[in-house]
Amino acid sequence: MGMEIPFDVANIPGPEMGEVAPPEVIGNYISSAKRPLLVVGSEILRDDFFLETAIEIGKKGIPIAATGHSIRGFVEKGYTENVSYYNLHELTNCLRDPSWKGLDGKGNYDFVIFFGIVYYYASQMLSCIKNFAIDPLIRAVSIDRYYHPQARMSFTNISPKMEEGYKDMLNRLVSSVK
Amino acid sequence: MEALKKGRIFTISDLQNVRISIGEIVEEEREWEPMGPTPMPSISTLRGWDFTLLNRYKPFYAPFCDMCCLCTYGKCDLSGNKKGACGIRMDAQHGRIVLLACLVGCSAHCGHGRHLLHDMIKKFGGDVPIDFGPEVDVEAPLTRLVCGIKPKTIRDYEKVFDYIEEQIVQLADALHTGQEGSYMDFESKALHMGMLDSLSKEAADIIQIACYGMPTSYEGGGPDVPLVDVGIGTIDMTKPVVLVIGHNVPPAADIGDYLTENGLEDKVELAGICCTSIDTARVYKKAKIAAALGRQLRVIRMGIADVIVVDEQCIRADILELCQRVHSPLIVTNDKAMHGLVDRTDDDADKIVDDLVSGRVPGVVILDPEQVGEVAVKTVIQMDKKRKGLNLILSDEEFTYYVNDCIQCGNCTLACPNGLRIGEANQSAASGTIEPLANLFDLCVGCGRCEQVCKKHIPIIDVITKAAYPQIKEEKGRMRIGRGPVWDSEIRDVGAPIVLGTIPGIIAPIGCGNYPNGTKDAWLIVKEFAERNYIITLTGCMAIDAALWKDEEGKTVYEQHHGRFDAGGVLNIGSCVSNAHIHDAAIKVASIFAGRPLRGNYEEIADYILSRVGACGVAWGAMSQKAASIATGFNRLGVPAVVGPHGAKYRRAFLGRPDLKEDWKIIDATDGSEVYVEPGPQDLLVACETVEEALPMMAKLCFRPSDTDRGRSIKLTHYIDLNLKYLNAYPPDWHLFVRTATDLPIAKKAELLKKLEDEQGWEIDWKMKKIKEGPIRGYDPSFNPTNLKRLIREKK
Ligand code: SF4
Ligand code: SF4
Ligand code: SF4
Repeated sequence: MGMEIPFDVANIPGPEMGEVAPPEVIGNYISSAKRPLLVVGSEILRDDFFLETAIEIGKKGIPIAATGHSIRGFVEKGYTENVSYYNLHELTNCLRDPSWKGLDGKGNYDFVIFFGIVYYYASQMLSCIKNFAIDPLIRAVSIDRYYHPQARMSFTNISPKMEEGYKDMLNRLVSSVK
Repeated sequence: MEALKKGRIFTISDLQNVRISIGEIVEEEREWEPMGPTPMPSISTLRGWDFTLLNRYKPFYAPFCDMCCLCTYGKCDLSGNKKGACGIRMDAQHGRIVLLACLVGCSAHCGHGRHLLHDMIKKFGGDVPIDFGPEVDVEAPLTRLVCGIKPKTIRDYEKVFDYIEEQIVQLADALHTGQEGSYMDFESKALHMGMLDSLSKEAADIIQIACYGMPTSYEGGGPDVPLVDVGIGTIDMTKPVVLVIGHNVPPAADIGDYLTENGLEDKVELAGICCTSIDTARVYKKAKIAAALGRQLRVIRMGIADVIVVDEQCIRADILELCQRVHSPLIVTNDKAMHGLVDRTDDDADKIVDDLVSGRVPGVVILDPEQVGEVAVKTVIQMDKKRKGLNLILSDEEFTYYVNDCIQCGNCTLACPNGLRIGEANQSAASGTIEPLANLFDLCVGCGRCEQVCKKHIPIIDVITKAAYPQIKEEKGRMRIGRGPVWDSEIRDVGAPIVLGTIPGIIAPIGCGNYPNGTKDAWLIVKEFAERNYIITLTGCMAIDAALWKDEEGKTVYEQHHGRFDAGGVLNIGSCVSNAHIHDAAIKVASIFAGRPLRGNYEEIADYILSRVGACGVAWGAMSQKAASIATGFNRLGVPAVVGPHGAKYRRAFLGRPDLKEDWKIIDATDGSEVYVEPGPQDLLVACETVEEALPMMAKLCFRPSDTDRGRSIKLTHYIDLNLKYLNAYPPDWHLFVRTATDLPIAKKAELLKKLEDEQGWEIDWKMKKIKEGPIRGYDPSFNPTNLKRLIREKK
């Protein structure tokens, strides 16, 4: 089997590289989390579908950290239930500290899902989590249309031609999150 | 020999067997200000200050690579914060990489400055006075602050560079395997390197200002500097065009001199890219600024230049290949970037011209800047004739062929730093809609990676250029030329409003063009803050890119706003080395306005700036190692910086934690009491994903503990308003910055008090419209914030 190509082709971190997985596998993996957090970025604003997907995940009880200017979309949709603005750098800085109290004051998370974040910024933050949020471990996955080697699991690179297919993958993922 | 007397001029060559006593010079130095505690600090001198910063703004690492391959024990896999064979952990290794980046950046500025000094002493002698006119008495704040030296002539910079170079070597030593092992100490060293970087920049700019008569506070300088044309569309391609690229102005200045002396100013275009172009415009009135760094490859590929002259830094490594492709001879003028060409410095000018024009050689090295003008101009005049009729813009047929030939394989997208969807845009162009492809022109950072991987050999850059060509021809901006120092008189006028907060902040857009979403963000940042009465001080590529865009009236930000260092001003300070004057403005607020001792007193001045000067840098397209050392230099001085998302690849950030109360304990110098304060500024280095996020972030990073209630209410107004405008929501942390009801924006006071009561559970006295309980601290107008115990006036 050939090696999966990172979306930014030279973004090969080292021996530890994440797997490419189908939506159901990532969905089940998310379901195994005790305290998951959905981290979304400004790319979810490129199409209503992605915003709706984030909200659906939020409605499953997974809190949302809205980074970049993605909070705009949630406010416009009137969904502010479990969403807070956070700068991605500042959020990741908190995530690496086991004693952080979380968005709700109840403690740090054991699982983060990255969605709709500018690729290279997301990759750097996933790298911080992979390398420093290790005790206790925070597992990180990406559900963007990119292969993210710094995440434990992600989709493969999905070309714009396959946008509908990608949307379908997200639907399947959301239904498999219990 | 007689002791040296003040003002007595002699030359060393007149004297033999002389021992010079420096006793009297020391005495003279004492006259201007007593020496402070830390002149010429070494690696560990300011470590205490660094640790104060690093304990609040803990280094955050996002490895770009999990491995280290610096010695033959390796490669070592450091993932999961493991140790390498030498014992270094991932975090320390990343501190090491950051120090290395700052070393490279600082060396570039120091090397540039030293090189300039050599050339200037050779050309003008060492006695060129440093005199910036009636409005600038404190001519070299960083030199005074760091070295304890008040430079009178450019020769005084010999000892400044001696100091910097020695420190650079000591810091480079710390990088060796088996030296430093603590990430905190690596960062302290990086901060030291950052400070040296800022000093190097100041030295370089002061030397060139003094020698070339660049704008100062003499007539026509400061706010009154003229405007210069910016943009590819401003270049008259019917004339011979010399294109200068880089950062070191002497060769370009010599071209300008040669054109002037030979009456050719209107016959030959002298245009530039990057900082050399900014500095050329400071010395040669007819200079034009073709573009900032991000367009280098494309300007060359368009074939605009009949001769290309490069000096140092940010020049493409494949410059020679690019020049050959467009049949432009290359003249390289700096021994740090010789590109394999033959050194012809001592050859006859006409012979060199002949070789270049005939194509016998693709380029030459000429290391004496005073020989460049003649060769470049004589060559360009002949090359212009030779290159007439050469059209490097694709024909319509070629364009149609290429966009139809694209198979949308996506290889180019995977190679593109911005992940641009080129295949899609080609497809759309093939079906008749060119706009998506044309739009890529500004989003592209001009790296050329896409073309190398296209299996169909599509010249992607030329295809995008062709699509955007009608708009490129109309790219005609205007920019103030680099004004250099902020005047002491300006500082006297605005010192109080800055420290009190009624001028809500100084925003400093600086650095390179690796933007996430094109140059328009640079314009938007300037426009948004200038309209809100912040002071905007630009340098380098962001100063150029901000000039490319216009408002509804067709005016650029430089034409729309005044150039004073005052509320609403938009100042082009100059090139990258000029951005030392932004440090200098902050330092002068502390020394001139607040009367803090300056000489050799780094820690106290930095402490003052961190607590009271609401300044925030923004390097939205930070790319180079120089940008790393520049930001780190700002940080040591207490100035935070925001970077664009590519900036996360610098691997390290300095992020504060508002949720950790103990991190925000500072001292009231009046009585030594300890006070928990709001997180102002919250971070020293942070990346934002989009400009919409960055705008409110910059406003946030302008809060300072010293703000008066009036100042705080103005800062809060902008912070909240920018959040509402760009994020459509209140910032979740705005309440942290409220100390008293008078801190609240007046127009929204009742609404905000209600929010504080409902959302934060604060106790409000509604009758008095006052806050009874809730804030981190109350507002105390006499609060005298400091992080330094030694500044306590009277112990409680
Ligand atoms: S310097 Fe240290 S971490 Fe790097 S390769 Fe050598 S032993 Fe490994
Ligand atoms: S690499 Fe070439 S063929 Fe493939 S999408 Fe890009 S331009 Fe088209
Ligand atoms: S040249 Fe432009 S389009 Fe091509 S890879 Fe670089 S940034 Fe992307």
